[in-house]
Parts: sequence; structure tokens; C-alpha cells
Amino acid sequence: MALAIRFALFGCTNRPFFHIVVMEKRRAQRSGKIKEMIGSYDPMPNQDNQKLVAVDFQKLQKWLGFGAVPTKHVAELLGLGGFYPIHPMSYIKAKRKRKLMEKQPADMQAKEEAQETEAIQVNEDTQPVSTEDASQ
Amino acid sequence: MAASMKCAWARCLSTILLNSTKHRCQISQPLYASCSNITGDSGNDEIIFRKGEGGTDQTRQEAGPADDTKKHRRDPGKAFTDVRVQKILLRLTGLDLDKVYEYRAAKGAGVAKVALMSDQQLKKVYESASYKALRKLQMPPVLGAREPIDEVLSEDPELEGLNTSKLVFIDISQRVPLKKRTIVVREPNGTLRKASWEERDVTLQKYFPQSGRKIGLPRMFQQDNLECMLDDGKHEYILNRACSQFEIDDPEYIRVTQRTYEHIDGNGKFEDLRSTRHFGPMIFYFTYYKKIDKLLVAFLEEESLEDSLDLVKLYHIVHPSCKSAEKVASMPDATPLEIIRAFAEMDATQKSLVQQAIQTYEKECDSTGSTQLRR
Repeated sequence: MALAIRFALFGCTNRPFFHIVVMEKRRAQRSGKIKEMIGSYDPMPNQDNQKLVAVDFQKLQKWLGFGAVPTKHVAELLGLGGFYPIHPMSYIKAKRKRKLMEKQPADMQAKEEAQETEAIQVNEDTQPVSTEDASQ
Repeated sequence: MAASMKCAWARCLSTILLNSTKHRCQISQPLYASCSNITGDSGNDEIIFRKGEGGTDQTRQEAGPADDTKKHRRDPGKAFTDVRVQKILLRLTGLDLDKVYEYRAAKGAGVAKVALMSDQQLKKVYESASYKALRKLQMPPVLGAREPIDEVLSEDPELEGLNTSKLVFIDISQRVPLKKRTIVVREPNGTLRKASWEERDVTLQKYFPQSGRKIGLPRMFQQDNLECMLDDGKHEYILNRACSQFEIDDPEYIRVTQRTYEHIDGNGKFEDLRSTRHFGPMIFYFTYYKKIDKLLVAFLEEESLEDSLDLVKLYHIVHPSCKSAEKVASMPDATPLEIIRAFAEMDATQKSLVQQAIQTYEKECDSTGSTQLRR
């Protein structure tokens, strides 16, 4: 029995949402065998460009006392939150992303611009026809 | 019969209000979480994200209530919680059972019951209704604007590039007061800091929603819309909604309430708030910022010498170093009119207005042949 503090993926297509739960590490996350739900993590940023993470720290500490082990990604998240020291993978991922940004800024910019123009074109196509044009 | 019963109870209640310590206005923590500052509740620091000493809670100082004018300007709360001030404000607010128990078309508003009762039973019902009404008249405290939260817990520039959005962490442990909940933010540049007041309010409302609150500023409180509402005369509604929407020390709350009070002052509609929980804070606002002239004139025009005297006494408590306070202290046997006249001569900003009102009051008194204190 490997008791873990892990993410359980809920939500729906193209809209992930994680509950932070205590359950056995190798179980299916939607099997209904969750021991306790101790938080949530919303990976999609909201209107204020925030990703919300809620954790019941009292329960977390209790389960850690029972011998539950956080998974890699939960540990990373808690590190970013200040509960744990920052996970080495956070540093590594950050470095990798920075490297990627430096290496291909031109390509990235081009991609972004293409996406923007596409979005604008779509917008124009779906604009309602103005009254002047209609009368003519 | 009912009218005379009401009169008897009004008089009975006023003695209760004046003398009873049971009904001393207490700022109850469950109702106003912001007031943990004022009651000197140091509490526990946050569970995990402790960073050295201090924080944003002001500890209560032992100093006298209204001594230091500089501290005063920043924190009206200290003067507001003075027992003498509270007593006067409660007296001025009064208790009009009809107004307090006015029918409001709202969800959960019950249908009035009709019952046949003996005189004794009726007395008991009035008594319990009056005690409950006092609770409805509990005043939202007047505090200074809260200090912004500016605490950085950790700087990690090596995390730059990991996220393009902020990560907001909130502690959802059970039985932690809202004000003490830990909320921290990890910025995209790697800084871990405590959440600002605005971020806190929004996040707490998402995870621990309070009824009557919206996330973000309701459109009603935007400047233009607020003016429309004020011109329509909806002062009590605005103040009630502000109370449920904002924390008492929120700069937005202070802006909305102060604008409402100024509008009332401009139109002289002080009686709209009489016997509501906002009358006390309004009087206190005018007294604290030395704008009681129109209010005093309104009381004199109503010919309530008691209220006028109470107002001037309140002014002397809140500003003990003012000239009229010193003069009145030197005349222990002054009549109420003499005290009010002293204030008008020395501390009134619109001297002529107040003095004229005093003269008019004296004429009315002489014409009716009575110089006694009148209600």
C-alpha cells in the first residue's frame, strides 16, 4: 500500500481540473477510492491571469504524518507555494523554457503573429453587416 | 392604547440605553472580522508562511482615546470605540420600532402575525422586540483605511520562465478566521509574496463566499452610478450594501460611505438615517472631520436641545484640545444653551449659520414659554 498525495484529474475535454487527494498511488483516479480530498489545482489561468491552488494544510500535515508521500508534481506545486523547498525539476523546467525562448524567438514570434492574424480574420468574417451596407 | 404603550416603552428603553452596561455597544468579532485590530486580538501568526515578526495587524495601544490628533487622523477607530462616544451615538440614534421593523420586500421576509394578547403579554413582546432591535442597530465601526500588504516571502529569479501566469495559493484549513487565512502568490518572475488586500478579498469570496457579496466591485459603487443612486435618495440602501460588500477598513467602503454622508450633508437629509445602524457612524464622521455645523443646525431646527447638546459633547470628547472644550471645562455649571453657544463662537466653521439657529431656537422657546430641556 503506497499512500500518496496526488492529483486526480477531473474536468472535461479541453478543460482539465485537478483535485489534490490522498489515495493509493497506483489506483485509477476516478475509481472513487479517494481517502480524502485536501485541495484543488486549476491549471487554466483565470481572467486575472491566476492559477488557483487551494490546499488544506492541516489535513496535508496529518496525512504526511500517516506516511503519505506526495507525487512529483504535487511536490513541485507545494514547492512553488512555499510549503516545501522548490523542487529541482522546477528549476530545470524553468531553465529549459528560458533556453527555448532564447533559441527560437523569431519562430515563436512568427507563430504568434500568424495566430493573431487568424483570430482577427475569423472575427471580421463573423462581424454583423452594418445597416448602411444592408440598405444599399 | 397601543400608542401610549409605545411611548411608555420608548421612555423605558431610553433609561435602559443610558444606564445599562448590558447594552453597551460591543464590536462582536463574528460580525465584523476587521475589528480584531481594535479589540487588541493579537491571535496566532499564519501557520506556515511565517516570515519574521510583524505583519499588518495594528496592536491596540494603551493611550487615551482621543488625545493625539496626529494618530487620530490616521485611525478614527480608537476614538470610535470610546465608551462615552458609543453611548452618545446610541442615544442620538434612538429607537423607532416602526422604522426598525419596517417591512422590507426581500427574500425571507415573513408575513406579519396577528395575535390576541393580554397587557402583560404585550409588554413582554415589546421588551423582546426592543432588545432584538438594539442588535439590529449595532453600528458598523468607523476605521481608518487598511495599510497595504507588502511582504515578500522569497525571491527566486531562477524560476523565471516556468509560468506565464501567477500561482495563487490559499489555505483552506478548517476553522481559521477569514482575516487570518494565508494567501500567497508566486509571480512569473519567481517572487513569492503575500497576496494584496484586493487579491485576498476576491480569493476569499471564491472559496468562502459570503452572502450579499460580489466578486469585484459592483457597478453600483462606481462613481457615476453612485451619484445617480444618491440623487434618487437611496442612502440607506447604499450604506447597507456597502456594509455587506466590503470590509469595514476597505478604502472603497470608506470612499462610498463618506461620499454618502457628504451627500446627506449637502441635502440636509439627516433624518433618513435616524434609528438605523448608520446614524451613529455618520454623526461620528462629521464630528471627527469637524463638519457638524449643518447637523447641529438641523437638530436645533427640530428643537431637540438634548440632541444638540449631545453632539457638542461628542465633539468635545473627540477633540478634547479644541477651544470650546477648554472653555466649557472651566464653566462647570453651564446650561446646555451656553455650551452650544460656546461651540458656535469658538469652533464652528459656519459660525453665522449656527448662531442664527441658536437665536431662532431661543425665540421659539420664549414664544412657548418653556426653557426646559425638550425632546
